[in-house]
Parts: sequence; structure tokens; C-alpha cells
Amino acid sequence: MAHGKQVANYTAAILLLAFAMVMGIMHGPTPIPLGTVVHRLLAPNRSIDSVIIWDIRFPMVAASAVVGGGLAVAGAVMQALLKNPLADPYIVGASAGAGLGATLAQDLVPWLNLMAPGAFLGALAAVLLSYLLSRARGTVSMLTLILAGYAVGVILTSVSTFLMLFNQQDLSTIFAWEIGGIDGATWSQVLVSGLLIVVAFAIVWPFAHDMNALLLGEEEAHHLGVNVRRIQFVLLCAASLMTAAAVYVSGLIGFVGLVMPHIARRLNGPNHRHLLPLAFCLGAGFLTLAQIVAESIPVIGPIPVGLVTAFLGGPYFLYLLLRQARYQRRWP
Amino acid sequence: MITDEALVTVENMTYTWPGGPTIGPISIALPPGRLVAVIGPNGAGKSTLLKLMAGFLPPATGTIVIGGRQLPTLTAQSRAQLVAFVPQSLDTSFDLTVEEVVRLGYLNRLTWRDRLAVRPHVDADRLDAILHKTGLHRLRERPFTTLSGGEARRVLLAAALVQDTPLLLLDEPTTHLDPGHAVTFLDLVREMVHVERKTVVMAYHDLASVGLYADVLWVMHRGQLVAHGDAQSILSSPLLTDIYRVSLVYLAHPQNQKPVLIFP
Repeated sequence: MAHGKQVANYTAAILLLAFAMVMGIMHGPTPIPLGTVVHRLLAPNRSIDSVIIWDIRFPMVAASAVVGGGLAVAGAVMQALLKNPLADPYIVGASAGAGLGATLAQDLVPWLNLMAPGAFLGALAAVLLSYLLSRARGTVSMLTLILAGYAVGVILTSVSTFLMLFNQQDLSTIFAWEIGGIDGATWSQVLVSGLLIVVAFAIVWPFAHDMNALLLGEEEAHHLGVNVRRIQFVLLCAASLMTAAAVYVSGLIGFVGLVMPHIARRLNGPNHRHLLPLAFCLGAGFLTLAQIVAESIPVIGPIPVGLVTAFLGGPYFLYLLLRQARYQRRWP
Repeated sequence: MITDEALVTVENMTYTWPGGPTIGPISIALPPGRLVAVIGPNGAGKSTLLKLMAGFLPPATGTIVIGGRQLPTLTAQSRAQLVAFVPQSLDTSFDLTVEEVVRLGYLNRLTWRDRLAVRPHVDADRLDAILHKTGLHRLRERPFTTLSGGEARRVLLAAALVQDTPLLLLDEPTTHLDPGHAVTFLDLVREMVHVERKTVVMAYHDLASVGLYADVLWVMHRGQLVAHGDAQSILSSPLLTDIYRVSLVYLAHPQNQKPVLIFP
């Protein structure tokens, strides 16, 4: 992959992200012109515009960027880890765990509004549980991890459904949360989630070459000098941390983590050294734009951005699936 | 420098597949600079032996010492500096290029500085030399998934050469290759052994050609190493007829007098 082309791709992705963020701040029930946005970003004051920009729209746009970028990188890591291009950040139980965590928080202590932290802990716990179950027989096979994650997901989802049936007053709150939305994101959420995602990215970065080796299979990676079990555990933890941090802000936003790594891979190639940063920029830019789309659809109030990403990502996923049918034996 | 001190020493090594057959106990010493072929019927334990020597399977009992170091105690990186493994083929759906796959051979010497850098430092001349030697220099940018069987195997050999290990393990390197590609590949391997003093152990199937390339043969049968020695003495003994349950004819190659076994 030519160096110049990669630099061009990075530049384009960063410009896209910057464009999306500025657009996101300008756009809203009361549009703010570009000049005012730039002015108030550089010199905040007590004007209405400045308050709207700094207290409402900028945190939301920053949240979109952090969540989108985090999910895209988590997806790329999970795809390498499971050697499966159709993996997404939620595949080993994170979504079901987050759902149960949020439901439990809402049912047990509804007055504290702990759905987000509940989801964060639930996502991490579910992935860890899947990992421990897949290890039960001494070694971890990534296929067993997928299956264990699936089983854990089914069980946890059935528990949260059961809980929801008994607390129907919470049904719509939890359902709305699960679709995934960024409306009302605050700076403190952005800070917590952003910090966790940066830490997780820093954990993943030194292992980019090991991830490349894992694309060739666990045995080949072993022969090349990768401590396969340890690297897999580290990557799984980091990806889950990113996923949980994203879920903490936004609920369950689908398809960003599945589709953005593919687009990044098509642009910069599968070498993770150049895939991961690009995936972050693309995911961040895409989710920020999707949020603008979500706000622009003329219904009563904004629709959740998770619906927009699913609507756009679903067809692309189908396309990938059909394209993949041409290859044989792709499952790990 | 040639020393006769063993590069590889295996002592009383056994391995049991879960719910399956047991391999060994195997004891053998291997001096450096030899091309060893492991022969034996299907299921005799050839591949298992290679995977044990590669540290991929942990021996149940016994020890493997390579270059004076106990294999299971090594870190993954140090192990991959001593022994490289060339599989028959790889199954991947990700489009890494030929050069990216070959560069993975540097993973065993990656430092923390390399790990943090955007572009790890590699010896470009050495990489070029290896790509030329394996005839891959024109395929650098090709996706690995689009290669033919012979090309893919040369890529895997090139990655193993980049690893720069004294010991190279090959799993049936010529299976599914046409004679042209097979001979090219084996000539390359022989050059590694005789020019660069690498030690090669390869699982091998073809009794007609094994004597043309291998210096030493190890004969596996039902999980045991039943015989080992120079190619001539092993191929001319009646042992192989017994093991393979087929009568075999021993010939001297008309051009170089090397031992050849063919079916009657």
C-alpha cells in the first residue's frame, strides 16, 4: 500500500470529521451560522449562541465522534481477533450484557438514573463471562468464544426481557435507550468515555503487528512469535473496554463497528498500523453525520441515531454478506 | 562454522492427542546444517512431531532443547528466533499483500520502539534479497489470497527466512505442487541448508524424490520414531516395505546415483 495514498486517506478522513463536527454544531432547531460558530468556539461568552454551542451541541458532537471512533476501532480489533470480517464489537455478549445492566439499573434503582453505568459494567461482565466459559476446557478457541458469547447473549437477553415484562412502566425508557442515541450527551460523559477509549486505543496500538499475524490464523501467528493466548486476552479486554465506554454514552448503536472497519480496510488495506487510526476517524465522522441526519428527519422530535446507522448500515452489511458468499471456508 | 554439537536435542518426548493416539517417547539429536525428511504413512505422527518441535503443542513428558535452550520455557519471541515453521497453506479472508505477509517474519525481533512507531525499522536490502531469492519481487503488492498454491508457499517460506532462525520446519512442502514448482521450492530449501547452514526438518511424502534432497531420514510409524539415518541406508533397507505395506523398488538415480524408491 503506497505511503502517499494512505496519507491522502488520513487527510480526507480528518477533513470529513472536522466538517461533520462543524456541521453538527451549526445544525439544530435554531441553526447557527458558521461565522458565529467559529467565533464562539474561539471566544466563548454568555450569549445564547455560546451556551447552545458549548453546553448542548459541542458535547453532543464530541460524544458522536468519540463513540463512533471507539466502536469502529473496537470492531476492527474484534474482526482481527476472531479472524472474521463479520464480527462487530457486540459479538461476544457485550450488547446483551449492556442491555441487562441497563435494565437492572432501571428496575432496581430507577430514581438514580444509573442505566449508563449499569450498561458499562454489564457489557464488560458479559464479555468476561463468555471468555471464562470458552476457557473452561483449558484452551480458548476463538470459535468457542463466539459460541459462548452467543449463548451468554441469549441467556442475558432472556433475563432482561423477563425483567421488563414485570416492570412495564420502564419498557419504553429501556427500549429507547437500547436503540442508541446521543441526544443530551454531557461533557462529563464525553470525558469519561473519551478517556477510556484513548486508554484502550493505547493498549491496542503496540499490538498492531500481532493483529496482522492473527489474520493468518492462530497457528501461523504462534510460529511467527506471537504469544497468541495473551495477545487475544489483551485485545479482547481493550476492545470490550472501548465498546463499554461507547455504550456508556450512547446505548447500543449498531453497524458503525461492523461497517467502518471494512471501509477503512478497503481504503488503507488490512495492515492494522494504518487501519486502526483511519477506522477511528471514519467512525467518528460517520456517526457525527448520522446524528445530523437523525436530527433532520421531520418527525416529532429527533429520532435516535442508532436507527439511522442501522438503516444505512444494514444494506451495506447484506452487500458484504453476499460478496463473501463467493469465498469458501471463511469461518475461523 | 560447522560444529557437530546438536542444534536440536529431543529426549523422551511424548504427546497424547485428547482422546487420540500417543506419540513417542522420542529421543533424537540433530546436528546443524542438515536437511532432514520425516517420512512415514499417513497418521504416523509426522506433523505432530513438527508441531512439538515448533512449540505449538506442549510435550506431555520429556524435553526439547533447541540451540541450548529448553523450548517450553522460552517466550514466544525468543522461540520464533530459533525455529520457524512453514505450513502447507493458510486460510485467510483478509487481503494482506505478499510483502505485508513476508514482513510478519520480523515480528520475532520487534522491539518496543518498533511497536510504538508508525513504521517499524526493517533492513530493506535484506527484505529485497529474500523476495528476490524466493522469486516474489514482482508480486510484492499482490493480495496473498489471490496467489497460486506454489506462490503462496514461497511467501510462507520467505516469511520464515525473514525470521532468520537456525531451524526451519516444513510441513509437506511439495504436496499439491506440480513438478516444476516442487523442484523450484526444494532447490531453494536445499540452498538454505548447504549454503546458509540452516537446519531443515520437513515432513515428506514422496519416496521417489526424498532421497534426492534429504541428507537424513527419520522414519515415523504409529507414533514412534522407528529408524533414522542417512537417506541411502534407510531407503535401501527392507523396513519401508513393511511399514507402508507395499513392495518398493530401490534404484540409483541414473544421473547422480542418489537413492530413489519407486513402486514396482
